[in-house]
Amino acid sequence: MKILVIEDEQGLRENITSYLNVDGNICESCNALTPALQKLSDYDYDCVLLDIGLPDGEGFGVLEYLSTQQKSEAVLIISARNSLDDKLKGLNIGADDYLTKPFHLAELKARLMAVYRRKALNTSSKLVFNEISIDIQGRTVEVNKNTIILTRKEYEMLLYFIANKGKVISKNAIAEHLWGDEMDMYDSFDFIYTHIKNLRRKILDAGGRDYLTSIYGLGYKFTD
Amino acid sequence: MRLSEHYTRTSFYITLAVLVIGAVIYYFAISYIGTQQLDRALQQQLTEAEEYIRSNNGNPQQYDLDRDHAVFVKTYKQLLQKRFFDTIYLKPKEQRWEAGRAVEDLVKLKNSNYKVTITISRVGQKNLIELISIITLALLAGLLTVLFITNKYLLNGLWKPFQLTLKEIKQFNIADVDQFKGKPSKVDEFTELNEAIREMSLRVTQDYLSLKQFTENASHEMMTPLAVVTTKLDTLIQDETLNAAQLAQIADIYSSVNKSSRLNHSLLLLAKLENKLIVEEESIELDVILERKMLQFQELMQNKNLTVRYKLHPKQISASKYLIDILLNNLFGNAIRHNVPGGEIFIGLDPYQLSIKNTGIANALNGQQIFERFHKSKDSQGAGLGLTLVKNICQHYGYGIQYQYDEGKHAFVITF
Repeated sequence: MKILVIEDEQGLRENITSYLNVDGNICESCNALTPALQKLSDYDYDCVLLDIGLPDGEGFGVLEYLSTQQKSEAVLIISARNSLDDKLKGLNIGADDYLTKPFHLAELKARLMAVYRRKALNTSSKLVFNEISIDIQGRTVEVNKNTIILTRKEYEMLLYFIANKGKVISKNAIAEHLWGDEMDMYDSFDFIYTHIKNLRRKILDAGGRDYLTSIYGLGYKFTD
Repeated sequence: MRLSEHYTRTSFYITLAVLVIGAVIYYFAISYIGTQQLDRALQQQLTEAEEYIRSNNGNPQQYDLDRDHAVFVKTYKQLLQKRFFDTIYLKPKEQRWEAGRAVEDLVKLKNSNYKVTITISRVGQKNLIELISIITLALLAGLLTVLFITNKYLLNGLWKPFQLTLKEIKQFNIADVDQFKGKPSKVDEFTELNEAIREMSLRVTQDYLSLKQFTENASHEMMTPLAVVTTKLDTLIQDETLNAAQLAQIADIYSSVNKSSRLNHSLLLLAKLENKLIVEEESIELDVILERKMLQFQELMQNKNLTVRYKLHPKQISASKYLIDILLNNLFGNAIRHNVPGGEIFIGLDPYQLSIKNTGIANALNGQQIFERFHKSKDSQGAGLGLTLVKNICQHYGYGIQYQYDEGKHAFVITF
């Protein structure tokens, strides 16, 4: 997957690029609107990560450029502005998703994968990871051809882990992904443990391998 | 009282006072002049009478001219001070008493002295004064009527531009695009007023816009560093050489960053609410949303062994889905978090109100303080903005919000 990161904050840009630059992904980056438009006219990308507040103009310009050039890059907006207007505007002129800062890299990756799947791989909507096969449209999961029944949270968790395979994911990131805004109602992360325990047991029961490792008290890692 | 009424009343009293005082002075002046004239006439009569007596050289006789009435009385007094005085006398022709002015003096004839008294009628003068009084009174009444009508109609018309300006100020909404215009007026003061208000509204609108801009910028400026911290941490934890103690520190940093970004979100939302920047509204089936919320919080409730009882009547409101979501999340969250293990939650919705009641500590909370910013109970994990948000969202839509306590049950009641 070829990804273009358009973000003016250097620290953020570097971290995103290094986090995404795995599994044969090619991740390029630029820090302003003008070089971004140059890159987009020179190359084709699968996904574009777009910050709205750029030093030389609003990121919406990229969306307008893509739609006038009829290019098919999937666009994920990352914005500091949590304004509904911006969100609607972005989605209306061709963005595929909108992520508000601050975000976890795991969340970014999962959203990016989802956007990419929706856009590019909608013909075969099977996501395969070793013996685990997920039918995205039917929302069903098979392990070694055995269908396993997952709750909504377990299903989302599995997708999240596969999108971020090989990475340590903090409990914060998992909780935010699964519970979103209500997360601060939870006084502890015990809930995550319950769901992870169930997910792991279901995969093991169906003959799958144990991919989940607990990283002390901090988080989990889904790895081969 | 309206300004024109104040004005009418004051000018009425002043006019009345001036006219009454004027009329009194007028009366005395006229009667003084009239008396002076009568006295001069009397003096002339007296001279004529003396001359008549001297030329006739005979006994003074009583004679009555048309107006005058002269009486000669023999007296032994050698000296008599001439004096003029008001009197009443019998008019011989008409045989009736009339008010008159008289003069008495001593006339010497040969060796005898006569006291002469000449009286003339004062009726003419009295009539004149009466006439002048009537005219004055009529003038007074006329003047007051004119004053009243002028004030009522003309002055009201004069104040019209002011009333228009006032109406426009009342309708002024800072978020509106149209500015204060102010109808042009012929009156300098009103033109000046309109000008001043126009400048003020322009300034206020500008400040408002920059505040709005500030809200956006603050969001951007705060969120971007928070995003950098978060992603740096996400990258840092990939390091396999980190030990448990270091990871525990990182976990703490995570939760603090998370807290501050939530706090920032809440503050920005409050600012938006207070500036009425959230305008989108849609029709919401509140009962459906509530059922969905119960499902959403099921896990949390089960964890604390809470029982939910509810009675929902269909109720439709027009509001922002986003705000209602925040409102309900806060109320549900509080009802769960501040509940006792194995406790209960009661949710009631009817066309007039929504109440969310939960079992909890056996003390009532301070109904005033709980809605204040950053006020929170000792064991609360949040930033203390939840109920402030709830209150502001309710205010935004004109709903009432109340806290009630009844025997260990804490209830928040929203009245539509």
